[in-house]
Amino acid sequence: MWQSVVNGQTLKFKLAGINNQNFIMRDEETGSWWQQVSGQAIQGPLKGSELVSVETDELTFGAWKQENPNGRVLKPDAKISVENYDPNWEPEVARMPVRVTAKLDETLEPRTLIIGISLDGNSKAYPFTAIEKQAPILDTIGTTPIVLVLADDGRSVRAFSRIVDGRKLEFLRKPDTNELVDAETASVWDFTGTAISGPLAGKQLTKIPVIKDYWFDWKTYHPETQLYSLGAR
Amino acid sequence: MTIGYKSAWLLLLLVVAVSFAFIFVPVYLIQPFAPQTERAVAVSYFLKSWSPIVTLLIAIGVLGLAFAAWKSSKRWYSKVPLILPIFLALLFAWFARQNHFEWMFNPLASSDFAKASAVDFVKDNEMVLAVKIDGDAVAYPVSLMAYHHVAQDVVGGTPITATY
Repeated sequence: MWQSVVNGQTLKFKLAGINNQNFIMRDEETGSWWQQVSGQAIQGPLKGSELVSVETDELTFGAWKQENPNGRVLKPDAKISVENYDPNWEPEVARMPVRVTAKLDETLEPRTLIIGISLDGNSKAYPFTAIEKQAPILDTIGTTPIVLVLADDGRSVRAFSRIVDGRKLEFLRKPDTNELVDAETASVWDFTGTAISGPLAGKQLTKIPVIKDYWFDWKTYHPETQLYSLGAR
Repeated sequence: MTIGYKSAWLLLLLVVAVSFAFIFVPVYLIQPFAPQTERAVAVSYFLKSWSPIVTLLIAIGVLGLAFAAWKSSKRWYSKVPLILPIFLALLFAWFARQNHFEWMFNPLASSDFAKASAVDFVKDNEMVLAVKIDGDAVAYPVSLMAYHHVAQDVVGGTPITATY
């Protein structure tokens, strides 16, 4: 998700090609080519420019609706047949070959779903299966202590900084729920990163953007990425 | 200008081949499920940027050459084959003005929205991309985005491009 304005000009983007299985978009105003995953102009008059990212959550519709009952939802195009909107396209794409120029970690299948985080120049990928087994995952990227959380639906993932008012918190899962408890104050935190009870009630954790991606795609555009590998994969 | 029948044909084949290269080299280089190098992307961009004008000029040239060849030949069976280079040159000039990626993934004609409470086209367990700016909360169902790939919107006053 990107802001459409570059140098004061609102750009309209169209699908224009494929680069290592990530699509290229072309803006109609300057004809420059942009890489979808990185938001960088790779060819044309704006080459070298970068789009400003917009904070995006990837959630189940149920989880989103609960938090945003008055939100709005993009409607299908009436002229497009419903088969094109197959929500189960992933297994089909998974059968296609992966041939990219990036050097891949051989311990992980190229199409492994990962949650990728880029923070202060450091990148790290968390295999989705590891999150399913271990959430909440406590980790540190660069110097920022983070926590990865999985929602009740078992599919929606968010990450937060673990620093609250200058204090680093350790989180545990509250038994039989998907809520978190911090070890320092025993406050209870929900999936939005808000403390809902305890001494820190009302406090909000700072959200860290996450991207759900295939391992090979993440690795292509974050060649220096680390890979989370504690036990579970 | 006078030009022999054979030399006209030679030139016709040559320029039609150039037109073909401007169209199909980028199609080949940036095809899905193939690895691309930076160089391949740069070459594709160059050819695609110039292909509309190059293929048009070649089509005009082909018409002129075919006309000259037509006049310099007397038999019908040496005239009729001239239709082929004309057809190809026009076909390539037309193709240079198409976005064949959008043949496969039609662009979203306009971004229309439904209220969250009134949505029946997304199930609760399906994934959405969600954005919230200044209290304006918007969900873009992944099933739609995986097909269209791009959607334009203005969220909380900020023009954004949703991509997937």
